[in-house]
Parts: sequence; structure tokens; C-alpha cells
Amino acid sequence: MATRPVRPRRFPLLRHDWPFEFGLILFGVITFYPLLFIISTSLKSNTQFYQSFWGPTFPFHFSNYNVAFDRIFRSILNSVVYSSLTIIVVAALASASGFVFARFKFPGKQALFYLFISLMMVPGVLTLAPRFVLVRSLHLLNQPLVLIVPWASSGIVLATWLMRSYFESLPQELFDAAHVDGASDVAVFRLIAVPLARPMIATIAITSLINTWNDLIWPLVTISNREWMPLAQALIQFSSSFETDWGPLFAGYVLASIPLLIVFTFALRQFVSGLTAGALKA
Amino acid sequence: MADLAASEPSELTALPPRKQTSVVRRIIRSRNLYLVLLPALTLLLVFDWYPAASALYNSFYAWNGGKLHKFIGLENYAYMLQDRAFTTSLRNLVFFVGFRVIFQTVFPFIAAELIVNLKNANWAYRWKLIFVIPMVVPYLVMVLIWRFIYSPQMGLLNQILELVGLQSWTHAWLSDPAFAMWAIGFVRFPWLPTLQFLILLGGLQSIPPEVLESSQIDGAGLLRRIRHIDIPMIMGQIKLVVILTAIFMTQRFDLFLVLTDGGPGYATMVPALHLYHSAFNFLEFGYASAIGVVLFIIMLTLTVINLRYVQTEEGV
Repeated sequence: MATRPVRPRRFPLLRHDWPFEFGLILFGVITFYPLLFIISTSLKSNTQFYQSFWGPTFPFHFSNYNVAFDRIFRSILNSVVYSSLTIIVVAALASASGFVFARFKFPGKQALFYLFISLMMVPGVLTLAPRFVLVRSLHLLNQPLVLIVPWASSGIVLATWLMRSYFESLPQELFDAAHVDGASDVAVFRLIAVPLARPMIATIAITSLINTWNDLIWPLVTISNREWMPLAQALIQFSSSFETDWGPLFAGYVLASIPLLIVFTFALRQFVSGLTAGALKA
Repeated sequence: MADLAASEPSELTALPPRKQTSVVRRIIRSRNLYLVLLPALTLLLVFDWYPAASALYNSFYAWNGGKLHKFIGLENYAYMLQDRAFTTSLRNLVFFVGFRVIFQTVFPFIAAELIVNLKNANWAYRWKLIFVIPMVVPYLVMVLIWRFIYSPQMGLLNQILELVGLQSWTHAWLSDPAFAMWAIGFVRFPWLPTLQFLILLGGLQSIPPEVLESSQIDGAGLLRRIRHIDIPMIMGQIKLVVILTAIFMTQRFDLFLVLTDGGPGYATMVPALHLYHSAFNFLEFGYASAIGVVLFIIMLTLTVINLRYVQTEEGV
């Protein structure tokens, strides 16, 4: 899924790459300019910002990062915990369900499967308001569970579909051989299917991570206690309390981007395939 | 542990006359399979199917989310037609979706063309990754960065305009009704939409070299090659990108909520945001549900078009 390296065209029209490189550099500069601007401003005091808007100024004010860190660290931690738990639930339930749908025959299988995948067509805006009424009547408001459980539930749909396709693509002989050797279905699942599906599980994990990390609306309606706010929601408050305190404000933006940057650095391929897989659900 | 299901081998040998009992027996024999599906199924029924059904059902009710719950037939839907916030929001949605679809297809396509024509494969791969990097910025931070870019005094856009001597062009972009919708349309502008970019790049990469070779033998230049080979060959991906962008943008309202909250007036109101306001500011959960149903129908239409005409030709 879009992870292979870019193959060069065998019949290039131009002898040199530089016209294309030039275009790409232009694209790159306008893409990264705002980011560099944010980073350079995050190290300025307000006086420096108003005196010299464009370039970096010395000395750097690293204390901006302390200020921002104190305000948003808790919410970054919250988000890490919420996203991790969601990913674990999604990966566990989706790989088990996907395995069952892919490798067994049982009455009602088609109907049950449609119960899963037809939700791919149900958009979040439709369920937003009734879901809120539901979690309120379950007394879940203002607790971490109110985020994790519905996030997991939404994530399972696409993940089950991906896992089923993956398990279906594995050759039957593999499973037959294991059965001949006396392995139970559970053992086959645990020792053969799941280890083989690791790349797909990674893809699912990244998709869930990006979706939960970026969700603002659901926390906004279900969490009002600052202590439990995830990053996106806390940033809204943060940005209004540091409205014109540019240094700490932008330092906060930079800090907020670091967790995904780390994931991106260590899981390049999965990151790219996770992005692409997300396309399949509306 | 025992086998989850022993039903598989018996499939071929099962005798037709005893079908009635055999279904029951097969269900009993597969009970462990149902048990495995149960947790996921429970979650989906409670947190997805029930709210979806509830939205459909309550769209025919006047409902404040609590005790007040009265059947009013199609009144919610009828009210939409005279609700100026809603009719304006539909018009804004058409503009926003159309605008986003165009530039979120054109720019990634140009970038993908530039990359795919590089002879140096390493650099091509690096460029691809470089354009994915902005994805690490949380969506909300991206929106807040653009709020800064558009801000009237110290905003990057106005500062750039002043720097190049175009003071008269500066505006309070997000609070000027004439510009607010355009400004939101341009949010994230120079950053390539990652998904669309990856899909188009994947398409261009998969064009067989023989086709390119023959076009070169026929003497086609770069622009003719793009027009007569590249674009027709990746029509499937282009359609997919268009449909996906339209589906995403129809339900996206967090950026409107953060940047303008629908204002000034209703200048940047979109249906999903109006739904949000109706439910959570005015406690009109019935009306909000009805708006949700309308959005659902719009997106369902797009999805059906997608499945019927787009994804059959070209998988992701």
C-alpha cells in the first residue's frame, strides 16, 4: 500500500532533473516556511517578536518551552494514554473478529459481517448528538472511558475489514499444516496469524493513532474537566490564554507536534500505509 | 483449548434433508466463534448502531435530549427549508467542497508529477517523505497556525503583503464576510493533502513503462504526455481523490468551529457546524438529528458513486 520506494521512470523526457527539482524545492519552501516561522518565533520574547518579525533573534528564550510544557504536558500524557488504550482495544478485537470472518464458516456470517462493514457508510456527524445523549445516560461524561470506548468502537469497523482481507490472503496450506501438527484454532491464531499480520496491525495502529490524536469535537462535548482533556482540546484553551504571548504559544504548538514526529521517524512505512488505509472509511 | 468450530469439514458431506436441525446444530457448534465476535459486536451495537438508529428516529421528534420528546412528523425537515442558517450553510458547503476538491486534486497532482519524473530514485523517495512530514503536526495545531496566518495585525499573510508593498490588500481575513469563506477554503494551502498526494503518486508510478516509451517514440513532449497519457491513465485515482475529498469535507467542521464559529453572521456556517450548534448550544437534538440525516444522505450518495463508478476501476 503505497510504501514501496518511488521507481524512476525509464523513459525520462528531460535529460536533467533540475527543472523538476526546482519545482519541488519551491513547493518545499512554501510548505515548510510556516513551520520554520513558528519554530523561530517560539524562541522569541514578545519584544523580539515585535521588533524583528521575520528572522530568528538572539538570545533564544528557551524558557518559553518551560511555560508551554507546564500547561500542556498533562494533556499530551492524557492523549498518549487514550490513544494507546484505543489502539490496544481496536487491534485486539479487530484481529480476533477479522480472523473469525476470514477463516471460518458459520451460520449468519454474512449478516454479521455486514453489521460491521455497513457502519463504514455511517458518518460521525450523524451519530454525534445521540451518542452524547447515550454516554450521558450511562454516566460516562468527564471520564477517560467516554473517549476511549466510542473511539475504539468507531475504529473497529475499518480495522476488522482490513484484518479480514489480510487473513483471507494467507494461504490455506499454512493453516492446514498447523492443524495437522495438532495446533488448536486459538494456537493458530496466536502463533501464526497474528505474527504474520504484524504489518497490518501496525497500519491499523497508526490509523487509530492519527484519528484519535486529532479528534477535537467528541472531547469538546464530553469532557469539561481540565485534568482529563486530551491534547487537541487542551490546545484550544491554551491558545486562548496565551493569545498574544507569541513565544510560549508557538512553543506549545511545537511541543504538541513532537509525539507524532517521533512515531513518524521510527515507523516511516507504517505511517504512510496507515495514512492511506484511513481513506477507506468515510 | 478446544477448536473454535468443527463445522468446516462437514460442509461437503452434510445431507440436504436434515437442513432445519443442521442449522441449529451448526450454530451450537460454532458458539465459540460467536463468543469471539461478541465484544466487538456489543461495542458496535451500543455505540454506533444505536446512536445511528436514534438519530433517524429522533429526526421526527422535537427533542431536547431529555424529557421533552414529542412526535412532530416531518416538521424538522420542513423547518430546514426556511432556516436561513441552514440554507446558507448548504450554499457554503457547496462552495467549500467544490473549492477544496479542485485545489486538493490539482496541487498534489503537480507535486506527484514533479516527483515521478525525477531520474534519481533516492531523491524521489525522499521528496515523497518530505511532503508527508506536515502530517505530524496535529490537525488542530495546523488550524491554529492558519488562524495566526490570517490574524489581522501580526498575521503572516498581512505581514507578507505589507512587506511587498501591498498594504491596501491586507484584510481581517476571517472576520470579513467577503473573504472569510475563501480564507477557510485556503487553510492548509501550501501543505499537500497527504492522502490525496499519496494516491495520485501511486497512480503515476504504476503507469507501465512501455506506454511511456511508445509515447516518447511518437515524439510527445512533457505537456502532451501529461495530458494524453498521465491524466487518462490515472483517471481512476483522480476520481477517487475527488470523491474522498468531497466526503471528508462534507462532515469536517472543527476548523470552522475554531476559526470563525460560522460567522460573521452565517458567512462561514456549514451544515455540520449548524448541527453542532443546534444540539449543544440550543438543545434541539431532534433538529440536529434531522440535519445529520440529510448529511448522511448526501454522503451516502457520494459513497455509492464511489463504490459504483470509482473503486471498481481502481483499488486504493
